[in-house]
Amino acid sequence: MKQERPRRESAGKRANRTVFWRTVFLMLVFGIGLFIPLFAQLYRLQIVQHEELLERSTRQQTRDTSVTAARGTIYDRSGNVLAISATVYTVVLSPKDLNEVQDIYRKAAARLKDGETMSYPEPTDERIAASLSEILGIDQAEILKRCEKESQYEILAKGIEGETEKAMQAFITDNHLLNSVRLVPASKRYYPYSDLAAQVIGFVNSEGGAYGLESKYEDVLRGQAGRLVTAKSARGVELPNFFEDYVDSMDGYGLYTTIDSTIQSMVEKELEKRIAMYDVQKGGFCIVMDPNSGAVLAMASSPDYDLNNYSAVLDSLLQQTMEGLEQGTEEYSKALSSARLKQWSNKALNTSYEPGSTFKSIVLAAALEEGVVSMSDTFNCTGSIILDGWEIKCSNRSGHGHQDLAKAVGNSCNPAFIEIGQRLGADKFYDYLEDFGFTEMTGIDLPGEQAPVIKDGGTIWPRSSFNIVQLATASFGQRFQTTPIQLITAVAATINGGYLYTPYVVQSITDSEGSVIQETQPNVVRQVISEDTSAQVARILENVVDGCITGTGLTGKNAYVAGYRIGGKTGSSQTLVKGETIVSFVGFAPADDPQVIILFALDTPNPVEPGSDYCTSGDYISGGSMTAPAVGELLPDILDYLGVERVYQSTEVMDTTVPQLVGGTLPNAEIALNQRHLTFRTVGTGETITAQIPVSGAAVPIGSEVIIYLGEEKPADMVRVPNLSGMSMSAAQATLADLDLYLRPTGANSYSSDTTRVSGQSVQEGVEVERGSVITVQFSDSFVGDNDANALD
Amino acid sequence: MGKKPKRDLTRSEQLARGPMDLTFLMLVCMLLGIGLIMLLSSSSIAAQYDKAAKYTATHYFTNQLIFGMAGLAIMYLASRINYQSYRILSIVAMVAAYVLLVLVFSPIGYGKATTGAQRWIHVGPLGSLQPSEVAKVAVILYFSARLSKRNDGEIKYPKGRLISPLEEIRGLSRKFGFSELIPYILVLGSVAVLMLLEPHVSGTILVFIGAAAVLFASGIKMYWFVGGGAVAAIGMWFVMNTMAHSSARLAVWKDPWTAYYVDGNDKAYQIVQSLMAVGSGGLMGRGFGQSIQKYNYLPEEQNDFIFAIVCEELGLIGASLIILLFILLILRGYWIALHARDRFGSLVTVGIITLLAAQVFLNIAVITNLIPTTGISLPFFSYGGTALIIQLGEMGIILGVSRQIPAPSQG
Repeated sequence: MKQERPRRESAGKRANRTVFWRTVFLMLVFGIGLFIPLFAQLYRLQIVQHEELLERSTRQQTRDTSVTAARGTIYDRSGNVLAISATVYTVVLSPKDLNEVQDIYRKAAARLKDGETMSYPEPTDERIAASLSEILGIDQAEILKRCEKESQYEILAKGIEGETEKAMQAFITDNHLLNSVRLVPASKRYYPYSDLAAQVIGFVNSEGGAYGLESKYEDVLRGQAGRLVTAKSARGVELPNFFEDYVDSMDGYGLYTTIDSTIQSMVEKELEKRIAMYDVQKGGFCIVMDPNSGAVLAMASSPDYDLNNYSAVLDSLLQQTMEGLEQGTEEYSKALSSARLKQWSNKALNTSYEPGSTFKSIVLAAALEEGVVSMSDTFNCTGSIILDGWEIKCSNRSGHGHQDLAKAVGNSCNPAFIEIGQRLGADKFYDYLEDFGFTEMTGIDLPGEQAPVIKDGGTIWPRSSFNIVQLATASFGQRFQTTPIQLITAVAATINGGYLYTPYVVQSITDSEGSVIQETQPNVVRQVISEDTSAQVARILENVVDGCITGTGLTGKNAYVAGYRIGGKTGSSQTLVKGETIVSFVGFAPADDPQVIILFALDTPNPVEPGSDYCTSGDYISGGSMTAPAVGELLPDILDYLGVERVYQSTEVMDTTVPQLVGGTLPNAEIALNQRHLTFRTVGTGETITAQIPVSGAAVPIGSEVIIYLGEEKPADMVRVPNLSGMSMSAAQATLADLDLYLRPTGANSYSSDTTRVSGQSVQEGVEVERGSVITVQFSDSFVGDNDANALD
Repeated sequence: MGKKPKRDLTRSEQLARGPMDLTFLMLVCMLLGIGLIMLLSSSSIAAQYDKAAKYTATHYFTNQLIFGMAGLAIMYLASRINYQSYRILSIVAMVAAYVLLVLVFSPIGYGKATTGAQRWIHVGPLGSLQPSEVAKVAVILYFSARLSKRNDGEIKYPKGRLISPLEEIRGLSRKFGFSELIPYILVLGSVAVLMLLEPHVSGTILVFIGAAAVLFASGIKMYWFVGGGAVAAIGMWFVMNTMAHSSARLAVWKDPWTAYYVDGNDKAYQIVQSLMAVGSGGLMGRGFGQSIQKYNYLPEEQNDFIFAIVCEELGLIGASLIILLFILLILRGYWIALHARDRFGSLVTVGIITLLAAQVFLNIAVITNLIPTTGISLPFFSYGGTALIIQLGEMGIILGVSRQIPAPSQG
């Protein structure tokens, strides 16, 4: 026993010691050891990986909204809006959020005490579909189908604006729909004039500006998008109390163009009219330019399209290409995309064509500048010329006979021009091809200008292979190609003092406040001919229209307008396809101080039968018969609009003002009318004049007959304007006189010609006008033999 | 029950009236306070979207506050009880734990339908209870009570007496300390089976950790732990690598970013969100209440992943301070164990405090992806009423032990 006791005690003590040390061990492990890796891990995550993890979390926690910059506005010359951007909305439905909203509604409804009602009806799928269908005009069943989807992004409608947008906003607020139905802002481009200058302006698709100015000036118009960064919860609710970052957007700059929407509209109407008139197969183009700066006032290309609906093919000629093709087939989509490309492309820039006789103005300018011809030179035309074994025909197969320079130009005589070309020589001639810019792009600020292909088989010969035969054909504008814009800039240089300008469309770029950022100054590329030569060219080209030198108008006579000195040159040329002709006219006015130059062309008027020189309309297929009258109609309108006053030549039918006769006596009236070169007839037998037609102050052509009423009432009724179309001068005069109306003739100045007929009238048939009104009647000669299309056959 | 005059008290009763450890108490209160405030911050958003929280921001906080107050009362009561009575009561607790673990599979148990694991039982107005919480304490108490009586001396047989072969085996078994382990193995085994049936792996692990701590401290032969540890490690490795869902879990753990963003594994979402929360906090944190991840990004942000929000809002500094408080509490707990009046007090304290330490470690290790995700809550922080009450009750038991620490002798 005595020995046991200390043993037992020591066993207990030993056990206690074990417990003590083992507890200390646990203390070290669980109290300290375990936490060291925790601190290490926290340090790793919160310090070492902080940036990376913060960025990861920021990426999911933020909503980075791009704040779209308003796209710049495009204006015409006088500040009319051609293209403008507006905010529209996309309606987005989130079925997922909708379920939640409905859930919350039901919960809230369930908590209501007796007698309480919810402040708004339950937002069931059905009710929402019905309302949305009513506001947006989409099928209710379709919306219901979308409501059942497990998605958060169902686009219901795009381009919502105005009243519809307001109705949507109200609907969303009233029904507490929060995120379930959202309006997402987007930008939409508007073109107030729809199809006006469509190819010049171009349009914007999802990737930005696609054609025209919209594409060329994309960087300027687009502006700088801004950003709005906000925190959001995982459910997409914005957390406004957290960080917010805003980068201002910068609106795009505005473009003030040189395009004049009034002139553009005149040009497009005329183009449309002539295309219909001559059953033109491949459209046409027209450029109106200020010859003294290169500023393009109008540029039309047909077929065109509606900028607000740029994918739709509206042109009837293009629609014909898709006729009979079934929608959805490969052929159809091919035809459709080809039709779209055609309507989007700007013919004035990206088609090249043989300029034909219009190019003779260039040859004339070069020859005069080089002094190889003079006004007194005469040329003998026998109807054709043999050169190096090639027979080249003149448009007049029986020959023009002996003619001086002005007449040779007026006759558009090929043999004469071949001779002029030969006098210049191939080298000199080629120099002028280069100097007038035919071997380079004009550099106009529009996309799609076709570059000349300088090689054999290209659009123009290289200098190395430019030989005497090519010189001959080049002398009357054939066998090489130019773009319309190249031709009009070159012709402008021949009549504006000799300066070749860079054509341009954008006059100035302005910021959103309207201050000018950049202004376009007219750029003279070079002076090609002297001012004197230029004046001579202008005079000779004026003679083509009004016969100011030769006494009678020639191939350009249909462009004649009394009061305006119009110069110009016709052209007809064969295209690469046999039997297709491009007829054109380049005109300018006033000839002594050109303010406007215009190039008007129609591609392939429909011949009555293949190979015929006559159109289905009965007109001879030539620039002189078809495009000269168009320019003759356009130029006075444009000049009037631009405020260029008419100056009548002594030989011209001039307007005069009808004096005040009422209340006076017949003898006095007679004196007053004689002074103004007016004739008269009387009605009644009284002493004093009781009425007169036309009223005092009216402008009528000299020689018109005034009706004087002596004691009788003048008829107060209105008269209907008759259809004068196709009438000769005398017939038209008689028809109008019967109705107490006056005729002011315009157009072809040799009214006596058998083929001169009324081609248009200022007041349309059936319109009621007062007696004594003056009707301006357009005459044109339907046969002007300047068609060189077969010169090389 | 009138208060007895001091002279009538037994020595044991006198000791039970000693002062409780104020340091430990203060640390508990501080952690509880901070935990409640962080719960308010982290749960406010989720509560607005949760029908169980009546879509009220403060719902979880208010609930937790009520349970916290009740827990403090229970902690106080537990600290007033002379812990010696737990020696007997531990058997009751053990029986109660078994009953509750079985009740989980009765109609009042639930969880299978919503989470796939039958871990909870309804307990009337208290809401729900995880029997595993009770089992943890019961096992610690029961083991401590038994092991405090442990005697590892060899059996002495009278000299000259023939020893039967059975007695030979018994002797050997005893010599290597195996026979004394048998009851513990039986208890742990049965509890583990019941819990794994739920299934509740993380709870089982915690029960094992508590029990192992008590066994370890009591002086069980070291090689059992080395061996047991080795078996557990091999078993764990085997399970991880062979079972499909475990190896998928392992892949998530190794590279949660790839798992989530590249492989599109939704199971990686939570840990990815947790890492973003922790990492975006940085050194100083976004500031109290300024977490963005709590806006529906991080799931379970008021439960197991609350500490990720703490890290996001308070940064490395705040998180470290809180962990430091936990460390101080744990060290103080072991200090109490070291100074406890008797072995039972020591073992109970060691068991409870090791369990707490393990829980804190495992929770934070999970939210920082140090270990694969397991569902272990953070004491005093995670939302859960009954768990909080039981935790505070456990702290009360330690405080009770601290009251009986003999005052150092004067002079």
